[in-house]
Amino acid sequence: MKPLTRRQLLGVGIGAAATGLLAGCSTPGTASANALPVHPPAGGPVTLTYWAWLKGLQKVADIWNAKNPDIQVRTVPIPGGNAGGYQKMYSALAAGGGPDIAQIEMRSIPEFMLVNGLVDLNRYGAQDIASRFDPTLWSQVSFTGGVYGIPQDSGPMGSFYQTSVYDKIGAEPPKTWDEWAATGRELRKVDAYIDVFPLNDASVFCAYATQAGATWLKPGDDGWVIDMTDDATLKVARFFDGVIDDDVVSTSIAPYGAGWFAAASKGQIAGWTVASWGDAIIEGVAGGSGNWRVAPMPTWGADGYGSSYLGGSTAAVLASSKHPAEALKFTTWMCSDPEGIDALIEHCGIGWSPAADYIGAARRQPSEFFSGQNYNEEVFVPASRQQSPDWSWWPITQQSFNILADGFRRKASGGTLVDAVAAAEEQIMTAFRNKGLSIRRAGS
Amino acid sequence: MTDARTDASDTARLRSQTPSTSRSAVRTGAVARAPWILLAPFLALFVLTFILPILVAVGSSFMKVTRKGLFGEAGVTESFVWFDNYAQALGDGNFLASIGRVLLFGVVQVPVMIVVATVLALLLESASAKWPGAFRAMYFMPYGVPGVIATILWAFLYVPGLSPIVDVAGLVGIEIDFFAPETVLWSIANIITWTYVGYNMLIIIAQLKAIPGELYEAARTDGAGPWRIAFDIQLPLIAPALVLTTVFSIIGTLQLFAEPQLLATFSPAIDSQYTPNLSAFTTAFAYNDYNVAAAQAVLIALVAFLLSFAFLRLTNRKNK
Repeated sequence: MKPLTRRQLLGVGIGAAATGLLAGCSTPGTASANALPVHPPAGGPVTLTYWAWLKGLQKVADIWNAKNPDIQVRTVPIPGGNAGGYQKMYSALAAGGGPDIAQIEMRSIPEFMLVNGLVDLNRYGAQDIASRFDPTLWSQVSFTGGVYGIPQDSGPMGSFYQTSVYDKIGAEPPKTWDEWAATGRELRKVDAYIDVFPLNDASVFCAYATQAGATWLKPGDDGWVIDMTDDATLKVARFFDGVIDDDVVSTSIAPYGAGWFAAASKGQIAGWTVASWGDAIIEGVAGGSGNWRVAPMPTWGADGYGSSYLGGSTAAVLASSKHPAEALKFTTWMCSDPEGIDALIEHCGIGWSPAADYIGAARRQPSEFFSGQNYNEEVFVPASRQQSPDWSWWPITQQSFNILADGFRRKASGGTLVDAVAAAEEQIMTAFRNKGLSIRRAGS
Repeated sequence: MTDARTDASDTARLRSQTPSTSRSAVRTGAVARAPWILLAPFLALFVLTFILPILVAVGSSFMKVTRKGLFGEAGVTESFVWFDNYAQALGDGNFLASIGRVLLFGVVQVPVMIVVATVLALLLESASAKWPGAFRAMYFMPYGVPGVIATILWAFLYVPGLSPIVDVAGLVGIEIDFFAPETVLWSIANIITWTYVGYNMLIIIAQLKAIPGELYEAARTDGAGPWRIAFDIQLPLIAPALVLTTVFSIIGTLQLFAEPQLLATFSPAIDSQYTPNLSAFTTAFAYNDYNVAAAQAVLIALVAFLLSFAFLRLTNRKNK
């Protein structure tokens, strides 16, 4: 037989390697970690890796590390959520690596479940700590009989406003959205917007619709059930169509962008209906000290709920972890022990604590910046209890929000939010089916 | 690669001509092996990081995942679906729009940038240029600023409330919004032009410097002025550099990513599928649809290949 030439050999080699790689390389995220046996507790000391975008998190971990020599936690800073953090996690998971614990927003938990990226913590005893957490938030991390993340922070909503601007028209903070629109029209006469409405971030609209009582997607027995064109959602869409058309809110200033800070410090933006974590952002408005207060979120009249949630994240255990039991111990301490919560507030400035009965020592004091108001206990404690218990997130939240935002952007060129919501419902159903998931419209 | 191949065939020819003694066989064997050994580090990395990922991406673009249950907890199957993912990518209006958008961008921005770079190069290489070295360094400097930093820098010059440009324009009574849906593409074009004009200028200058001095002398003796020299001697002789910079710019345009990605935080008009690369990135790592993302990536590569090829064909024909 004629010996192979080097070139032929090389060719065969490349071909073989490629075939092997292609055969071994199925689409990432198609194998489940929760079907494998549970990882037993470690025999000796372990070091857990924790990817998060919270600043100063290592200081919180150090408090734990000092007392728990057998479970050491090392934090690694990553970019926030969809700004790059998730992309990093998804690629790590696809490559079969990744940290033990990761910061994942409440709304993204199902997206990570879709790629089999999360450990079902009930397999490690998470059901025993359920009572330590706010039941609404706990329900948002519970799917198909499992728990897929420990709530870390959340965002009950309220209305921040500048007293100096409201005083110009002698207005009180509005109690309903209709009053809010009327106040907004008055404020336009003194060259101020009552608030901004972001056309490129659908999560805000989503929070308003949740408050009005909408539940966009529910897990059903035979797949997902969608209902985005219900009365509550359409009412909210029509309302904001109206106030945008009447120039009551600004759609050109991005919330907490550089332009927003400039306008807010000049009194051109009178207020901001946002989650409790908005306080830290507002404290960055130049000359704002003693000028801001917080009122409860306006309501949709008799329907709906007193408040809504905007944002909120969890500490989830990724499928790559070899030590879920230890990771659960640490996250339980961090998210529900007063020591952990106070440390998270002091070092990371987290949003509202999801613990059932502790808001954090620092949050029980009146605030000098917010005109001496004890706004956390006054506004946000009640807000956290007036939430829709029915809301649940779904596996393509980010894509759905992008679809909605694409529709909302057409508002600038003559479209309407109502049309955008209706069109988004269709597109989201297509997107579900493209993911190989089954979905049907409610009532059909 | 080509060098290695000629080397190998040369040695093969040598071997067939010389009578083979055992010593020279060993020698020629070693000579034949040498290029491969020297090439091995490159080839290994080239295959591992270039050829294989392309094969995997192409393979992946023909697969589709189907899930049972709410999250696939009741079973996940993967199947070969021929061109379904391509159909889905091409059926996505946003993806098509992103390709159209960068094509429009390229048609306007690439010629502007190449013309500016050529004019700057000709000016700096003209006899009457003062301190050409200093100016060359100055024009090239933006290329040394990383794209991300350049974008942030420009964003502050664009954003209303902070931007001196917007303020000054406002004084004269002109309202500019650099982030509006119809302007933001050109705000990006401005950043790209600012960054790459100096770089392209340098390539053109390198080619200008290669023009022999006698040509200029002869032209001047025949009474040619600076304009005549520029149009009849310099421009024809730097044509290869112009072709090169244009092809690079076309490919670069299709790969627009960092600038729109960063400006998206300032401008609501930039969505997650603003450019083809952003679109593939979002599909893969925000929507977790690696298969469709692979199809999009293959499509982007095809478009880049076709455009570069078409442009080269066009310029070749002109030369003939």
